[in-house]
Amino acid sequence: MLTALTAAFVDFRGLVPSPIGHRLAEIQFVPSLVALLTGTSLSLACVIIAIVTLALGRIYCSAICPLGILQDVIIRLTKWRKRKSKPAPYAQPHTWLRQTFLWGTIIAAAASWGGFALSLLDPYSNFGRVASDIFRPPVTLANNSVVGLAEAIGWHGLFRAVPIWAGAGALAVPVFVLLLVVVLAAWRGRLYCNTVCPVGTLLGWLSQRAAFRLQIDQSACRKCAACLRACKAQCIDLRAGAIDFSRCVACYNCMGVCDQHGIHYRFAWTRKAPISTPAPQSVPDAVSDPQRRAFISKTIVGIAGAAGISRVLLADEKPPAGNAGETRNFSPVICPPGSAGVERFLDRCTACHLCISECPTGVLQPAFLEYGLLGLMKPHMDYRAAFCNFDCRRCGEVCPDGAIDLLDVSAKHLAKIGEAHFNQDKCVVVTNGTDCAACSEHCPTKAVTTIPYGNNLRLPSLNDDLCIGCGACEYACPVKPDKAIKVTGLREHSIAKKFIEPKATLPKPAGDFPF
Amino acid sequence: MKTRRDFIKAGLALGASLPLVNLDKLFAADAPATPSGGLPVALATTKSILVAVRDGERAAMLDKAMAELGDMGAFVKKGQTVLVKPNIGWDTPPERGADTHPETVKRTIEMCLAAGAKSVSMFDNPCDQWQRAYTNSGIEKVAKDTGATLVSGKDQTLYRPVDIPNGKKLHMAKVHSLVLDSDVFINVPVLKHHAGSRITGCMKNLMGVVWDREFYHRTDLHQCIADLLTLKRPTLNILDAYAPMVRNGPRGKSADDLVVMRTLLVSTDIVAIDAAGAKLLNQQPSDVRHIAIAAEMKLGTMDLEQVDIRRLKLA
Repeated sequence: MLTALTAAFVDFRGLVPSPIGHRLAEIQFVPSLVALLTGTSLSLACVIIAIVTLALGRIYCSAICPLGILQDVIIRLTKWRKRKSKPAPYAQPHTWLRQTFLWGTIIAAAASWGGFALSLLDPYSNFGRVASDIFRPPVTLANNSVVGLAEAIGWHGLFRAVPIWAGAGALAVPVFVLLLVVVLAAWRGRLYCNTVCPVGTLLGWLSQRAAFRLQIDQSACRKCAACLRACKAQCIDLRAGAIDFSRCVACYNCMGVCDQHGIHYRFAWTRKAPISTPAPQSVPDAVSDPQRRAFISKTIVGIAGAAGISRVLLADEKPPAGNAGETRNFSPVICPPGSAGVERFLDRCTACHLCISECPTGVLQPAFLEYGLLGLMKPHMDYRAAFCNFDCRRCGEVCPDGAIDLLDVSAKHLAKIGEAHFNQDKCVVVTNGTDCAACSEHCPTKAVTTIPYGNNLRLPSLNDDLCIGCGACEYACPVKPDKAIKVTGLREHSIAKKFIEPKATLPKPAGDFPF
Repeated sequence: MKTRRDFIKAGLALGASLPLVNLDKLFAADAPATPSGGLPVALATTKSILVAVRDGERAAMLDKAMAELGDMGAFVKKGQTVLVKPNIGWDTPPERGADTHPETVKRTIEMCLAAGAKSVSMFDNPCDQWQRAYTNSGIEKVAKDTGATLVSGKDQTLYRPVDIPNGKKLHMAKVHSLVLDSDVFINVPVLKHHAGSRITGCMKNLMGVVWDREFYHRTDLHQCIADLLTLKRPTLNILDAYAPMVRNGPRGKSADDLVVMRTLLVSTDIVAIDAAGAKLLNQQPSDVRHIAIAAEMKLGTMDLEQVDIRRLKLA
């Protein structure tokens, strides 16, 4: 899973087919949950993950979550370096921190800040950014250094690619997360998963109530501490003979190393107090505390209510999309076609950067503060880097959480994400008195054409209705530093007019050569 | 790596080898073609030849035209490296006519290989995303089918800065090494309307061999197009005018922008062939400024009266 997802994220050549990239991302918990809750798709991966967790524990955390597996790699590397590791003693859970991160995320989601919270805390998205922003450029560079060798032996199957570095602002978070994860994993195993990660906490809450749980067979245990040495989560309390299953990441290392076969899966739903589980107070979370239970249920009701209210409020604020007479509110930042508008995009996108990795032109770049703080690291269209290729729909193909819809080709051709503005006074044709028309040349909808001007020149001319805001004109414009034609984004995307011309008949093909 | 000196030597050798082949039937006595490896050869006293074929399929028209010029063997010698430069500027399918049709390109490559070319390479520096353009234009498949090498045009390390001493505004450019190093350079563009340069044919297609096109646009598009020719002119130009794009060029909006003319032009004179192309699009060659400038700089003949035009019809 780690290898496959890493391949999808560092894939600077577009070799991983987009359906595969999409599937790998779609089975992740948070993208699936977002897609399901926003009604984008009947993405049941999150439900299945929840059911599996409720049955057997946090298998998602051990086998599917790429950030989790990345930590396992780090743990293994540290252990390999140290050779003989000391047994890690049982550690108390940081319950407060865990709950804060989880409830913080949930409350943020209710207050329609979920996109922001998840973009910072979703483990899959965090991994995506690490792979896309930090791993991909060096991989590209490594490829480029190999190309020369390949060419020297006459093999042209490889080619050089331009490494794409995210801006420092957008890069800060993934760098911080990578450092944090490396340090925590090397120091105390899966501490990140059991402290910061809201998915870990949520699944831990389910896992604690799982039907089958790992338990220590007191009669077999000789307290040799081999399991402590193998445990990634420091969740085995040998003194009490208990395992904090909310923090167990289901790696089964303990089962493997126990030569007494003292750790087993046991069905735990039958009796109130299973044989080997000691007194409740040793289980750190006060599960059976009625007050806490009441608190949680009240909070959930409250949040559901808040969510409902905010939905209604937001729905009232938003003008209906695609309305012909809509008042266009321009946005300084441009979000990708298929995202329907800035607000919806920021709501749904968790900034996993899969689209950024897959975008063949590199026009999708992580934002710093272009969207404001809430849109930190989310992809935006950067027309200084490139422009959106007319027929390409790769971002929609890979997006796992429904932030970018996969439009039909014909719909993509009319998806208006912005509008070009032409400043004649800056245009080369006017300032230099020479032909150019790079903008018109690149324009795929012919919103930019040219009209006769001056002495046998052609001046760009813009038809707003046809413009989809793809940025081809702005990218191609040779005027520096401030371009003569620039695209402004639309907060709510709309649909451009389709301009159909009759079949060309002129010049009439004559019977003979015209020369 | 080939130096300019090697290149000149190759060109001279090639020129020297010309009398050895039987050219009698190929060129009228007064019109020796200039398969000179691209070196400008003064043509002051001799007429350029332009072969214009009509009313056939693409491959058949190219066969006919090349037979008229003495087959590809007159231009490609055994063991030479050949660059075929199509227009692959846009991520559009062949029926849109924005890129050179794969059939024309394929036939050209087959002829070069049949003539004994050591290798045939292709590239373009596309406007749209380059891999998509290579694939969707059908050119990638042509390379696969024929064994030609398709090289990246978006790899800056493959471009070398060269001086253009005779350029008026373009004095220096980064030019793709395939253009500088190949023994034979065959230019295979498609004829189209162009919003900025009026028409795009053989001369405009060579914008795809330089790295920094923005400089052209910023400085003086037409003059720069002509200036590059003072560095190197293609050995041979093959202009695909089967169904030229007559409006909304150079990208076009749909196949409705094309008018079927079933025409193909071949010439060693890049100015003459573009002048004929302009006429096909109902434009006066002198109105297309880069054609006029190139003629003025004596890079070819714009006045078609002064060109030996071989008009051939297949039907």
